Amino acid sequence: MNGKRLSAVSSFLLVAATLLIVASLFFPWWKMEFFAPQYPEGLNIIVYPDKLEGEIDIVNGLNHYIGMANFSEENFPELQYLSYLIGGLAFLVLMTAIIRRKSFLYFVIGIFVIGGLLGVWDLNRWLKNFGTELDPMAPIKVDPFVPPIIGENTLANFVTYSHLGLGTYLVIAAFILLLIPLWKDRQK
Amino acid sequence: MKNWIPAATGLVAGVLAATVFFADFSSGPSGSATNDHANKTNAEKVYVPFGEKDEYYLMASGGHSGQMFIYGVPSMRHIRTVPVFSPDSATGYGFDKHTKELMGDYNWGDLHHPALSETDGDYDGKYLFATDVGNSRAAVMNLETFTTRDIIDVPNTSGPHCAAFVTQNTEYMFLPTRFAVPIGSEYASLDDYSEKYRGVMSAVTFDEENEKLNIAYQVALPPWSYDLSDAGKKMSADWAVMTTYNTEEATTNLEINASQADRDYIVLFNWKELEQKIQDGDYDEVTGQKMIFPEKHKGGIYLVPVAKSPHGVDVTPDGEHFIASGKLAPAMTVFSFQKAFDAIENEDFAGERNGIPIINYDSVMEREVDPENALGPLHTQFDDKGMAYTTMFISSEIVKWDPKTGETLDRVPVQYSPGHSVAAEGDTVNPDGKYLIALNKIAKDSYLSVGPSHPESMQLIDLTGDKMEVIQSAPVNPEPHYAQMIKADKIKTISIYEKEENNPLAAYNQEDTRIERKGNEVHVYGIAMRSKFIFDAKAERPDVIEVNEGDKVFIHLTNIDFDQDITHGFAINSYDLNMEVQPGQTNTIEFTANKAGTYPMYCTNFCSALHQEMTGYFLVKPKS
Ligand SMILES: [Cu+2]
Repeated sequence: MNGKRLSAVSSFLLVAATLLIVASLFFPWWKMEFFAPQYPEGLNIIVYPDKLEGEIDIVNGLNHYIGMANFSEENFPELQYLSYLIGGLAFLVLMTAIIRRKSFLYFVIGIFVIGGLLGVWDLNRWLKNFGTELDPMAPIKVDPFVPPIIGENTLANFVTYSHLGLGTYLVIAAFILLLIPLWKDRQK
Repeated sequence: MKNWIPAATGLVAGVLAATVFFADFSSGPSGSATNDHANKTNAEKVYVPFGEKDEYYLMASGGHSGQMFIYGVPSMRHIRTVPVFSPDSATGYGFDKHTKELMGDYNWGDLHHPALSETDGDYDGKYLFATDVGNSRAAVMNLETFTTRDIIDVPNTSGPHCAAFVTQNTEYMFLPTRFAVPIGSEYASLDDYSEKYRGVMSAVTFDEENEKLNIAYQVALPPWSYDLSDAGKKMSADWAVMTTYNTEEATTNLEINASQADRDYIVLFNWKELEQKIQDGDYDEVTGQKMIFPEKHKGGIYLVPVAKSPHGVDVTPDGEHFIASGKLAPAMTVFSFQKAFDAIENEDFAGERNGIPIINYDSVMEREVDPENALGPLHTQFDDKGMAYTTMFISSEIVKWDPKTGETLDRVPVQYSPGHSVAAEGDTVNPDGKYLIALNKIAKDSYLSVGPSHPESMQLIDLTGDKMEVIQSAPVNPEPHYAQMIKADKIKTISIYEKEENNPLAAYNQEDTRIERKGNEVHVYGIAMRSKFIFDAKAERPDVIEVNEGDKVFIHLTNIDFDQDITHGFAINSYDLNMEVQPGQTNTIEFTANKAGTYPMYCTNFCSALHQEMTGYFLVKPKS
């Protein structure tokens, strides 16, 4: 029985993980910075679970020259429900802390991993769409491209830097907290 | 046993969270100016490398160009010219509806002495006032946008040269006149000059919320010429002083006839007292203005005799003294406000002139200062220690002297003939010292020749050492009469106009663009964006406007590039029209399509790589 139950310390860690996941809702998850000679201060696209921030209109205005579609909240249906999915995940973690069953923790970790992979796949899909489905009528023709999720890319006069946002780091931290009970309460 | 592992992983998670919370990931250039003035060469003192900014704004009047010139100090780089009284096709000033209305029927102005708005006698960096000696107007410039916001005509007056000066909390801006004219500028024979002509001074208030100037009241001073002026400070805050010449009331050949009397006057007045008169109804209503006639509505105005034909009169930073310079009887005279107040209290008068009491010269004069061979003292500025710097027009130099002792401390030649000078915040209660700029009237061979018409010359003088030192010279368009030098961090500009959701003339979305016809009026609600015009997004050709010959056309254009320094222009070929729309701004141009034909339209302000493609057609169908 002892082997299937999580300890009080583990339960406490899971509550902390819940709080980190909830906190992540209020911070950006991903960010792309654009620098050009005439934009030394940089332009930003900042993605939250439920909204976009940054100099979106200016980025859109510039992107139309290469025929890229507009970034807008309407164009990303995920923004409508992503925060509920994240909230649901936080709820599951909290449930684990309460029922303290190791099997349930495995299940939640499984959901976490699948969710994370789906998120990466989705973001990559959008980056690919935006970078490859360019309007053929655009005044400036560029080769299709896929900006990386993390890292640097050069396009015309712009250098872009993609980063994970604070929200993502919080969720990664939460995930680490989820793994600790597996080690701590392992069968000896 | 291996309990350290969960503890360590917990710590790692914590550090990770803390790092992303508190670490500074910001990128981009940063720089800081080292401002150690000592041991620098003159070149180093004025060099401002790219990425750094000047320490002061210089706002120099543009005289008969009708413009304001904005420079940076100490680099002395010309940053911008701001049109005020003259049209400027570069910014569309005088072409778009608002500025065309501001300009009225005038095409030029003679922009004289600028004055910054003040709070507690110090520059607050919000507004700049200026007057037009050429067409008797006053203007206000907003320093968030460096644009002219209002211009008013000043009736009953002709050439407010003796302005502008603001009281220490910008309660009033006073505009005394250079030329005397009959009330209402009506016809009157010059034989009746002394009886029918007046040198009217206007008290102008500024409504900051609506950015409107307004004449509160006027004073029908004697028919003399009023030259320069200053408001009191601190203990003299309720008072103001101005110089006069031609108290001879000559009507011809003023060069000779206005230089006969040994003394002219300083007019000393208490604006709080005049304000009270207006509240008490102690005035006459003339040409729709509340007019104080000093001989009838007595009190609050006094005359102080001064060496003949004075130019500047300047109040010391502590507000205790005023210094007047007789340009023909070359001496600076230091007068005491306290002595003047005592003399007024004791009615220590030497008779009256035109119904105004004359205070005994000896009762108010503190000292006369006459540096050897210094000729033509015009105007005085102050440094942080209260030392005075007076321009000598005739002997072409700046003289530094101590108003408390009259001792001459230093002299430096300038090239040539300085009119005014301006010190860093040098006419406030709190001058900075550091820099003085001589505004020279004559440049001669100072710069590369451009033929007979010469620039004026501004020379930057370092005040930090024991000796004044000219460290930079810069040519400037005709012609700075006076200037204001303000610490750069007091100016808070914007670079993008905010959306005005309730502005019926604005179109921020392509779907809102439209062309509406009302009878023979055509109203266009369009947008400008990199790199196209859209006047009607639903039209087959969204960048075309088609009207009938004789239609009245209103083009409202909004720049929807909310991005710094992305300005668009708008011109119609051969229609003599051009305007600018700044980022976020909506601007209107109004005209009659009186020429049938085909006229290309284009963006006149280079905005983007495809700026050349930012065009359209204006088609005017001929009357059949
Ligand atoms: Cu343009």
